[in-house]
Parts: sequence; C-alpha cells; structure tokens
Amino acid sequence: MSTTLRDPREIIREEMVMQRPILRLLEEGPLTVPEIADKLGHPTDEVVFWVMGMRRYGHVVEVDDADDDGYFRYANAHQEVAS
Amino acid sequence: MDYDVLVIGSGIGGMESSIKLGDMGYKVLLVEKEASVGGRMILLSKVFPTLDCASCISGPKMSSTINHPNITTKTYSEVMGIERASDGAFRATVKEKSTFVDWAACTGCSDCQTACTVAVPDEFNSDLVARRAAYIAFPQAVPKKAVITRAGTSPCIDNCPAGIKAHGYVSLIRSGKFEEAFQLVLDATPLVGTLGRACYAPCESECTRGDLEATIPIRRLKRFAADRHYAEMDGPGIERPATNGKSVAIVGSGPAGLTAAWQLARLGYQVRIHEAEEQPGGFLRHALPAYRLPQAVVEQDIANVTALGVEIVTSSSVHDLEALRAEGYDAVLLATGTPRATALGVPGEEADGVLAGLDFLRQVRVSDAPDLAGKRVVVVGGGNVAMDTARTARRLGALEVRVAYRRGREEMPAHAAEVDDAEREGVSFEFLVAPVSVVSDPTGAVTGLRCQRMQLGQADSSGRRRPEPVAGSEFVIPCEAVFSAIGMAPDPTPFASLAGAESGSRIAVDPTTLQTEVPYLFAAGDVTSGATDITRAIGAGRRAAYMIDRWVQGRELGHFPALDDLLGVVDKAEVLARQKSHTRREPITADTVLSPAPEDFGELEPPMTEAEALAGAGGCLDCGICSECQECVSACPADAIRFDKREVTSEITVGAVVVSTGYKLFAADLKPEYGYGTYANVITGMQMDRLLAPTRPFNTVLRPGDGKVPERIAYVSCTGSRDKTSGNPLCSKVCCMYSVKQNQLIMGALPLADVTMHYMDIRAAGKRYNEFYEQAKDMGAVYIKGRVAKITEKDNGDLILRYEDIENGGAIVEAEYDLVVLAVGIQPNHEVEKLFTGERLGLDEYFYVAEPDDDLQPGRTDIPGVFVAGTAAGVKDIVDSILHAGAAVAQVAAHLEHVNHDRATVAAEVLA
Repeated sequence: MSTTLRDPREIIREEMVMQRPILRLLEEGPLTVPEIADKLGHPTDEVVFWVMGMRRYGHVVEVDDADDDGYFRYANAHQEVAS
Repeated sequence: MDYDVLVIGSGIGGMESSIKLGDMGYKVLLVEKEASVGGRMILLSKVFPTLDCASCISGPKMSSTINHPNITTKTYSEVMGIERASDGAFRATVKEKSTFVDWAACTGCSDCQTACTVAVPDEFNSDLVARRAAYIAFPQAVPKKAVITRAGTSPCIDNCPAGIKAHGYVSLIRSGKFEEAFQLVLDATPLVGTLGRACYAPCESECTRGDLEATIPIRRLKRFAADRHYAEMDGPGIERPATNGKSVAIVGSGPAGLTAAWQLARLGYQVRIHEAEEQPGGFLRHALPAYRLPQAVVEQDIANVTALGVEIVTSSSVHDLEALRAEGYDAVLLATGTPRATALGVPGEEADGVLAGLDFLRQVRVSDAPDLAGKRVVVVGGGNVAMDTARTARRLGALEVRVAYRRGREEMPAHAAEVDDAEREGVSFEFLVAPVSVVSDPTGAVTGLRCQRMQLGQADSSGRRRPEPVAGSEFVIPCEAVFSAIGMAPDPTPFASLAGAESGSRIAVDPTTLQTEVPYLFAAGDVTSGATDITRAIGAGRRAAYMIDRWVQGRELGHFPALDDLLGVVDKAEVLARQKSHTRREPITADTVLSPAPEDFGELEPPMTEAEALAGAGGCLDCGICSECQECVSACPADAIRFDKREVTSEITVGAVVVSTGYKLFAADLKPEYGYGTYANVITGMQMDRLLAPTRPFNTVLRPGDGKVPERIAYVSCTGSRDKTSGNPLCSKVCCMYSVKQNQLIMGALPLADVTMHYMDIRAAGKRYNEFYEQAKDMGAVYIKGRVAKITEKDNGDLILRYEDIENGGAIVEAEYDLVVLAVGIQPNHEVEKLFTGERLGLDEYFYVAEPDDDLQPGRTDIPGVFVAGTAAGVKDIVDSILHAGAAVAQVAAHLEHVNHDRATVAAEVLA
C-alpha cells in the first residue's frame, strides 16, 4: 500500500472527474474497491474516497454482503443490477 | 439590553445553558459557528455507558434550543469580539456569515448538494468522505438548511472583464456536464466559440494552478464546450422568450453589440442591430484572421443571437441617432467600436503599397486579398493587430515580413504568445525604430520605409519608457508594402451632433451605467474606451443591456451586480495552503504546429479531446470552493439559492456571557510514529465514531485503505494526552471510555472482529463506567497494558504495532492488525482567547478557561458577568458537561438577579 498518501482534499476533489469512469466500469457489473482500483490504475485508498462519495450521493450502491475476503461489491445505482 | 445572556457555542454545554436560562425566563442569544446546533455530540454513534443513541438524546435538545421562545439562535455565525460597556453590560459584535441560501425558502430537500459539482472533505465526517460545496451539515441538522461554502470569488472569475464564471464551467466540464458548461458561458454572452479561440484568457493569468506547474487550460475548455454544443445542435438550445413589448436599437454588431442584443432579447426586448458592413461580427469577422478564429465559428455564435429573434440589418450605417430613436425604439445602444486606423503621419504614406493593417485584414477576410507573393513587407506597430497583420502577410506569400516597433520587445502591447508565434512563423522584428518617411519610386510605388533608431528614456504616462530618437541614425528598410498598425479610434460621426456626447473621438458615458448625456442613448465597448479586447467589450455589452433594461423599466440604474458586486477575490496563497502537498499534474497544452512559412488560413490550434478536457479541468483547485456553476440554482425547487446574499455584522448588548466553545481534538499526525496521515488504515477515535454512527460515511465499518471489513482492530489509548512530548500532560478523561464504547459497538457490528486495546491505564471513574469496561472484556475485547512505540505498514495495508507488554514481563512484542484506531485526546480551544477586548479572559496553565474558584463557584471566570460551561473549562464527558452547564446557569442567574437588584435599588433611591 502507498506510504505516500496524497492530500485527502486533492483526492476528494477528483471524485467529480472519476465518477464517470467508475460508473462506466460498473456498467459491466458490480465490483469491489480493489477491483475498481486495479482497472483504473489508482490506489485503493483513493478509490475508497471516490466510491464512498458516489455512494453518499446516490451514484453507487453496495450489493450483497462482504465477500470472503471482506470486500463489498458496488453497483451503478443508475442501472438495475441483479444481485 | 438586547438579550440577558449571550451563549457562545451550541454543543451540549451551550444548549443546556441556553435551555435552562430560557426556561428561567431570560432572553438568550445563542451563537453557533456551524450551520447547525449540536456540537460534536450529535456526530457520535452512541454515548457511554448506556449506549443510548447520541442522536436520540441530542435531537430533542437541538429542537428545544432552536424552538425555545426565549432563545434566539444564530447559526453559521461568529462572535467577533466582546467588550464591556460603561453600564457594566457587554457589547458583542456578531457576524452572521452568508449561507447564500434563503433559509426561509429552503426546505432541506438536498437537491442542491446532489447537483453540486464541487467535492470537498466533509468535516462533519472527520474528512472520511466528500461533501459538496452546497451542503446540509448532516442529516439531523437543526435547522436542516443548506449552505453554500464560498471562500470568495475565484481568481479566474474575478479577473474576467466579461464576468464569465470560468471556475463554474471548468467544474461542469470535469463533471462531464459539457452542455451545462456551454450554457453557463452562454448566460453571459452568445460568443462562446469565439471566446474559446480568440480570448486572451485573463482568467488563466490569475489561475492558482499556475503557481504550481501550469495554469488550467481555461480558454480551450470553453472551446471544447462550444465545439461539443455546435457539433450536436445549431443555435443556443434555449427557447425564445416572450416579448415584453419594448424595443432597442443597437448600432454595431461587434462583441459588445451582439452581447447586449443577446441579453436584451432574453429579457423579451425586440432588438434590431444596424451594422455598417455587409456582414455582422465587427472585428471578430473583419479583423481577426481565420487561423485564429474561423468564420464558421463567428457565424455559429451570431446564430445564437438571431435565434432569439434579434434582427441584424447589414450595410446599414447610422449617422443620426436621434432619427433612429424616432423610429420608435425605447432606447439606443451605440457599440461601433474603433473602426478607424491611426495614420502613420509621415511623409509619403499616400504611396501605392501603404495600407492600414486593419484595412488589410478586412480585405483578406471579406474581399480579395492583396498579392504579396515575393514582396517584402514592413508592419509598423507592436500590438496584436500588428501581429495579426504580419502573420497574415506571411500566409499571402510575402517573401519577408518585418515588424518595426519604436520600443523594445518587453514593452510591446501585443500578447507575448502572439509575438512568439509570429516569430516562429518567420516574422522578424526591428525594435527601437520609428518611421520617418515612406520611400517610393517615380511611379509612386513603395520601395522602402525610412526609419530612425530610438532609445528609451523616462517612463511616460503609460508607465512605459518613452522612445527618443537617436540623432543621425536614419536608415531605410527596403520593402514593397508598408502596413501601419499603430492605433485605432472610434468613428465619431453618429454622435458628433449630440450635445455633450462626444469626448474626443470617443463617446462619453457614465462608467457604471454606460448612459450618455442623452438619456435614451447608451454606449458600450471600444467606442467609449478606445481599443481594448473582446472580454472588455462583452462585459460592457452585458452592463449596457442591464442598464438599458432598468432605464426602460423606470428603475434606478445603480450598479451592475454581475461585475460590480463580486465577493472579494480569494487569496491564492490561502488556496495552496489548504493542502499539505500538491501532486504535480502533467500540463494540458495545445500541440499547435507552426510553420516558418505558413501557407493557409486553416485554424492553428487543435481542439481538445474529451480526455484532455477532463484532465485539464480535473486540475482545478476550486479556489473559491463553490464554483458558481449554477447547478444548485437550477436544481433548487424552492428557488432559495441567493448568490447575492452577504454577511451581516451587528452589535448587540447583553447582560452576561456564557462561553461554551468546547474543545479541539488532538491532531493525530503530530505523533508521526503512529502513522496517521501516512498509513490509510490508521484512523482516529472520532473517525471510528463516525463509522459506527447511523449516519456513517461508509456502508459499514470499513478500512479507508481499501474498503475491506476489518477483522483485527487495535486501539491505541492516550494518543496526545498524558504525553508531555505532545504538549499535553493531562488525561483527557473520555478516551478510555469512548474506546470501550467503540469496542462494544464494533463487536456488535462486526461479530467476527477481534478488538484489542493497548492502554496505559483504564480510567473508568464514573457511574457504571467500570461495569461498562468489564462488560467489554466479557464480550471478548482484549486489553493489553503498555504504550505502543511504533506502527509500521505492510504492503497489503495491514499494520504492525510494536509495544511493551507490561503485564507479561515487559517483553517487546509486535502484533498485526487490519485497522488501528488512535484514541486521541482533548485539547483546549484557543479561539476563546480572541473573544474579549479590553479585559483578558483568564486561562489556566493548560489554556482552558480558568475558573478561579471552581470548588465553590464552578462556571465563574475571572471576568464578572462572564461564565464558562462545559469543556471550554477543561476535559469533561457529556454527563459532566451538562452538570457544569447547570452550575454555570445558576451563576448566570445569580449574577443577573444581583445586577437587576442593584439597578432597582439605585432607581428607588433616585425616585426617593
């Protein structure tokens, strides 16, 4: 994991730019934070900020319970997703 | 006396004090700096040791506070200062910060925050998640009203003479709202595509990002929005408004005239523009070369205007403004620009081959371009017109183009980029030379320009050093064409006969209203100011339309809010200081290819790709915080957004003051050995309380580092308390018990999680506190005595705690966890030190508000009439804060009754 965390304000500000790429990824189906991070090429701690900001304002929603590794999957809230 | 008591701070101590005093019949003013009452308690998950819901306890108190008939609550307000008046009362200055929302209309629906395009850390969730610039403090806020966070006007907006909300459209573009970005610019001017290309972007020169690696490409982002819009639709994409039965004539169809027409048409005016040329657009069409501004773009922008019903009559010179008014117009706007080129004023300039740069550019745009193939050209002047002329001449095949300018390169009024580009296109420069005469052959054709060398003397009125001739330095530049671009002036013909209207070749106007001496006649743009630039002309056009509307409606003209009533500009240093570090972003620059021998007028600057636009806009630092994108205005169903709302400061007189300003939490990054701020999975106790609260920022307790449900959670007690190395030797009293509370809540929320607390001592002194601690142990929480020395991070984000295990022989042990919670301590709130002037509020040795006689007179400070309630006087849990507030209330009541009694006695003695 990164030991040079970026300033949270900077990461949070970028949520607005990252919303659309994340939603596009989730159109293919729900993903966990590490999966989103891997596909975007961004650190997981930054993706947590973006996904949680998007969750708060209704863009993504968690589906199911956490998997065996302890991760929730998040879905595009603007489309119907079969859980 | 305005109020009996001023209570500062609406945490549990402040609310309890206010309610009790109100119940006693005293008139209370409660001032809270946040937008909701409630302080920190409302943000907690539950309270110890009862595990009652914090919201359930706080909520009714918050409601009682705000609705109490004897309590006036000013939230989002600050006490700026308090001083004692001569009669013994206190005079306080209270600033009600602007919420930019009409709270009487706001329903708390949250639509504004859903629409907002600016994300900032949510202080009410301890920065674990984003909130929006438009926000409601938290779901249980009382009052539940929206606030828009505005630090001031962003420098890009502040520096735009057209008043275009650059920050707003940058913010919209990064959010993928491209059409909304176009519409935001369109709200100011129809010339969106034009500005996206030909504007000199004063916004960018003030962009704070420019102090890091490079400015945001603001102008090109505007072009991106315009290109997107025009690729999808013709016209503005808005409906034609209903007519208001009024009409305005506009003379001139340059940027000022077109912008004014656009604004007036949107207000329902019937507008007719008279344009002397055969085609509308003014300099946009007739002076700006197509490689900078393609004709098709000008036509797209002008189509926005005509789509609203504006009639443009071309080849229609107006020489008599009174006659024009007599046609029945309610008002007339003159916006004819500066069509007249300044002559060289040297012998021989009537020679064949001498032409004004403006006329040359116009010929190239609207008629046959002169044949310059193989010719040598001299352009006289150092402004942007001279650069356009020189670069255009290169495209027409001129063998050599030389710019002759009487000062040096640094003094050139042309924009540096234009000069550089001209040079890269093969234009050469003769600096410090001035024309003396035009040399011609016997047929009258130009053969050269006689010049003399200059040197720079003292600065003139423009601030630039005055060029002075060097004696005996004359020389001839051989050439076949001379283009003069040394200045432009208005054509005074239309207003020459109107008394008082003329000011030299310009028309005289009131600079604020743009009204002339002739009431029905307004003027805007270069005809009033001399040659400037597009943005200033657009700003003037907007202003003129606003003023004309007010004049026609019979209203006072006043000032133009869109340009005259901006919030103060944000300090760029403050913007940069909001972050501890800034990541370098690769600048988004235009890959413009310039040829040393350009051959055509094709547009030079390539358009932005969507990826470039998002990357470029994504670097915006949100200087003003709110971007003024207007999305909240569009979304608000109650029409409650008020960008023109301003803070209000008032003076109030009170009989007593209760200081209940609470505490500050220890900044955990001051213990770098624990890795807070460095390791994503090290959080504070307050952050864990938010994760456990019903209104939590995540869907459950998750690691911030990767969103994983933690299974091994460690607590580190006494972080920033009982610790002289961090400047706080005091026990914070609540950390042990809030940790034990969280231990229990975690085991309830995450039944599989192991919870371990590393402690120095467990301090559980309170009613049922120790039983609460024992209960946590019975539930499975593990308590290990010993100070944690260091935390390190593994590659997977797990954390290694190194500690001394005191109860097992003092061995140095390392243990691995998924998540570490630092039980941070409480510290005094130093803001209290600035409250009083004239008298100093005493503090104890640890900088809490001193209670000189706290054994017998709790709540009393060393200023008579000033009392303290809650943690402002020292660490306390919630129960003790409420008890302390009760004590303070009793002291306040005794003080007020004593004062009232004294006054009554004095009054009785006077009457006797």
